[in-house]
Amino acid sequence: MGDIYRMLGLTVGHIQQGMTAGERREAYACDVTYATANEVGFDLLRDQLALEVAEAVHRGFHAAVIDEVDSILIDEARIPLVVAGGDEAGEKLAAAANVVVTGMRAGWHYHADQHGRNVMLTDGGVAVAERFFGCGNLFEEGNLNVHTAVQDALHAHALLRRDVDYIVRGGKVESVDEFKGRVVADRRWPAGLHTAVEMKEGVAAKPQGMILGSITLQNLVGLYEHVCGMTGTAATQAAEFHKLYGMEVEVIETNRPVIREDHPDARFRTVRDKERAVVEQIRRLRETGQPVLVGTASVEESERLSGMLDGIPHQVLNARNDEAEAAIIAGAGERGAVTVSTNMAGRGTDIRLGEGVAELGGLFVIGTNRHESRRIDNQLRGRAGRQGDPGASRFFVSFEDSLMVKYGGLDPDFREDPEAVQRIVEGANLQVREFLNKYEGVIEGQRRRIQELRQSWLEGRMEGGELERLAWLRTIDELWSDHLARVADLKAGVHWFSMGGREPLHEYLQRVHAWFQELEESLEGEADRRLEEAEAGGMDLRQRGAVWTYLTTDQPFGTMTERVMKGLMRKRKSGRVWG
Amino acid sequence: MNKFLEAFVNIFKIPDLRKRVLFTLGLLAVYRLGAQIPTPGVNAARLQAFFQENQNTFFGFIDLFSGGMLSRLTVFALGIMPYITASIILQLMTVVVPALEKLQKEGELGRRKITQWTRYLTVILAIVQSFGIATALQTADSGFVLNPGIGFILMTIISLTTGTAFIMWLGEQISERGIGNGMSLIIFAGIVIGLPEAMVEIYTNVMVTRQWDPFQMIIILSVMIAVVGFIVLVERGERRIPVQYAKRVVGRKMMGGQSTHLPLKVNAGGVIPVIFASSLLAIPQSFMQFEGIRNSSWLRPMLESISHSMPLYFLIYTVGIIFFCFFYVSIIFNPNEAADNMRKYGGFIPGIRPGRNTADYMNKILTRITMVGGLYLALLSIIPEVMISGIKLQRLPLMGNWIDSNFPRWLLDGLGVSFYFGGTSLLIVVGVAMDTVNQVEAQLIMRHYEGFTPRSGRIRGRRAVF
Repeated sequence: MGDIYRMLGLTVGHIQQGMTAGERREAYACDVTYATANEVGFDLLRDQLALEVAEAVHRGFHAAVIDEVDSILIDEARIPLVVAGGDEAGEKLAAAANVVVTGMRAGWHYHADQHGRNVMLTDGGVAVAERFFGCGNLFEEGNLNVHTAVQDALHAHALLRRDVDYIVRGGKVESVDEFKGRVVADRRWPAGLHTAVEMKEGVAAKPQGMILGSITLQNLVGLYEHVCGMTGTAATQAAEFHKLYGMEVEVIETNRPVIREDHPDARFRTVRDKERAVVEQIRRLRETGQPVLVGTASVEESERLSGMLDGIPHQVLNARNDEAEAAIIAGAGERGAVTVSTNMAGRGTDIRLGEGVAELGGLFVIGTNRHESRRIDNQLRGRAGRQGDPGASRFFVSFEDSLMVKYGGLDPDFREDPEAVQRIVEGANLQVREFLNKYEGVIEGQRRRIQELRQSWLEGRMEGGELERLAWLRTIDELWSDHLARVADLKAGVHWFSMGGREPLHEYLQRVHAWFQELEESLEGEADRRLEEAEAGGMDLRQRGAVWTYLTTDQPFGTMTERVMKGLMRKRKSGRVWG
Repeated sequence: MNKFLEAFVNIFKIPDLRKRVLFTLGLLAVYRLGAQIPTPGVNAARLQAFFQENQNTFFGFIDLFSGGMLSRLTVFALGIMPYITASIILQLMTVVVPALEKLQKEGELGRRKITQWTRYLTVILAIVQSFGIATALQTADSGFVLNPGIGFILMTIISLTTGTAFIMWLGEQISERGIGNGMSLIIFAGIVIGLPEAMVEIYTNVMVTRQWDPFQMIIILSVMIAVVGFIVLVERGERRIPVQYAKRVVGRKMMGGQSTHLPLKVNAGGVIPVIFASSLLAIPQSFMQFEGIRNSSWLRPMLESISHSMPLYFLIYTVGIIFFCFFYVSIIFNPNEAADNMRKYGGFIPGIRPGRNTADYMNKILTRITMVGGLYLALLSIIPEVMISGIKLQRLPLMGNWIDSNFPRWLLDGLGVSFYFGGTSLLIVVGVAMDTVNQVEAQLIMRHYEGFTPRSGRIRGRRAVF
């Protein structure tokens, strides 16, 4: 593509991890810049902390063309990109908490709920922790740090599963993306939880600072004047694209007609039956020589299935061996190939058929689970039957699958129909996203507003000396960071408003609005204070500790906010006539 | 006040909000229009006279909710009452019937089902009620009905039930596409529509017929204003129980303060306890309709002693209201469940252990606050009654005579004014108004930052051309 652009007289650049600020600035200055959304977001966040105009690398946001747009705007839309700095503490406490929790037993010292989304200490567990730390009532205000460390350790031990939610490789904890089934570079769990996981696995802890700024991909995309994108799986989400982004979905005919045969699901009572049937199917296909791609839900499942395939030569592709990805995929379409993979071999993977394979019926895709979203399933199916090739797909499901266990009880009518369950779950998730949109729209508005003020100080458009300029920039950054922390706190507890019979959205907006006004009013005083301190020589305004960026997610248990919102909507919609 | 005006101007500056407000007003106008259409075949004048006589009974109460339409028997005569009854029934049933409770927890689909059932139940209740009204009118033998017979009954059922169904639809439309809660606003409209009329009445009483002296008018008006202020104060009143999360506190926290709390409202039940209590008191009074009871030498005085404006009536009324306050709170807020929930989400009340201790703590606070709320509701319900007909303390045994000669007349006999804009209706009006204002305010805050946020539509890709 680059050649075409250059032929047309356009400049082309790209952004990669590890590039210097100078290289980035140059790439962004090009007419067309290729970059991942994360890199663009991290650069923006760093720009927003710049103390000189020349430090910034972006040059404004105009038009964005997004590949795999549903992945960015729906699956990952809510994941905040974070820039953090300063404040490294709590490692000792985390280590101690890890010792306590390691000695705890499920059911006796703590309870985890059936979906693995919540865990809480029992009275026995509390007593053990209190004795260990000798701190008295764990729930006293003064013990918050201890309590938090214990809670984080408990989460790390009871809810995060090695080889499902994360893998340990090269002395590092690497989290695994639920949708893609691959390791995500630079992703962390919030603050203390990440340290707790590192303690649990006995690896060196990365520094955890305070969040200096954050932005979600959704809001990042919102900065562009023109946005469009492409993907093979947007049609089912057309309503969502319209509602949240005002984007229309247009279906474009495939280059060659799809002749893939999508078999109806094979259903089983138990996971055991299902897996046996999957192995049987693989064996049969293997006899004819038709290549098979098996899509599993986790690293653990892919390895379990691999263990069951004794006597059948096969390849395993998961987050653990992603360096071999290219080689495995290259061979996956060969005659007789069996590839067991996580969702890694989903989106965007192009499997070429080997010689004579087309006559055998092309690639056969087996899904061992239905995902919460039909799009992810369709992505997996789409590995077969590319460019008019023959191919087939079939999903094997059981009533013990996590999708069915988690949501199948929703309505007895749907207990036996995974696709209906998926529709309900998708609907519920859309509602949550819409709801959160309302909650976050205001914060995004405030972010832009404060950023505008910061920009005018940065560019020296405001009256005042150099020191004053720096004082203001520092003040804005610090107060904004505080504001974010405060809002996060409020959001975590917003469902209590509705339990007390107040309208949560209103209470939330009122407070957030008032706090922001408070922030704007206190800016001047705070800036003066810093200026005086700097003039007295007590503070170097240019000095800022190391800054680092990462993605954060609560995915393993659903973000606190999401959980809360779900509960909230139940309450809200229960129809109180009397207001 | 200035802020209020500013907000008001802002509403009309924002197109979407303006549209919503106008839509709401438009539908309320439709509702008032329908409220003028009488049901065919009824002698309206006679009916109105009947209600005039029974203003302070249970009939009057229902009439209040229908915005005076019952007394005129318009096609909207049943008003929204069947819908309210239906939703209260279903709400109570979700507590009792496990299957319904499950359904309610099952998200959107389940809730939609419950809403659908509420609608069906509303229609059924409307049919039953309109049948009751039709037959009652016929058998009352007071010349209410022009052409009695099965035809009249059917016609009444059809017009009244359709009317209710239509109001229900109006309410839902307002909730969905207008502003505020549609059902509440319809009740609200029915009540405040009487305000100008009441003002005119006061004016005529003072300036034209000179029935009252200006002093009385000042008392009434100041009581009304004081009551409104008092209601707003208490309705906003809440006890904030701090909720803490086991979460790392980062940063300097220059702006401290507990941001997360569980607000416990002083008056959680709204007007429901009053409705329950007054319905309870209305039951024995309806026995007085029976000849046998009216002539009974012991039942009659007994029933009379708990009739309006009697000391015993006030006592039972007060106790009843307080009881139903506790009852309602126990339905909508379960401290054990709340404590469990708190624990599940990793929250706790600082200094208090989760589980049992937390539940006990909340229970203690809830009990106190509900007691206060109950007294407030009772006071609010009693004030208008005292103003209408006083407390007949002179009927008390032993000290009756002394009270009779020493207490001010207005306390014992009331002011004799039709205090139409009474305590409970004020409560509803203030409550609905506060809710609606809150909603508007929320909209305004969101719009305040909107110039800076992508609203749907701003991120607009052109239609795909590739």
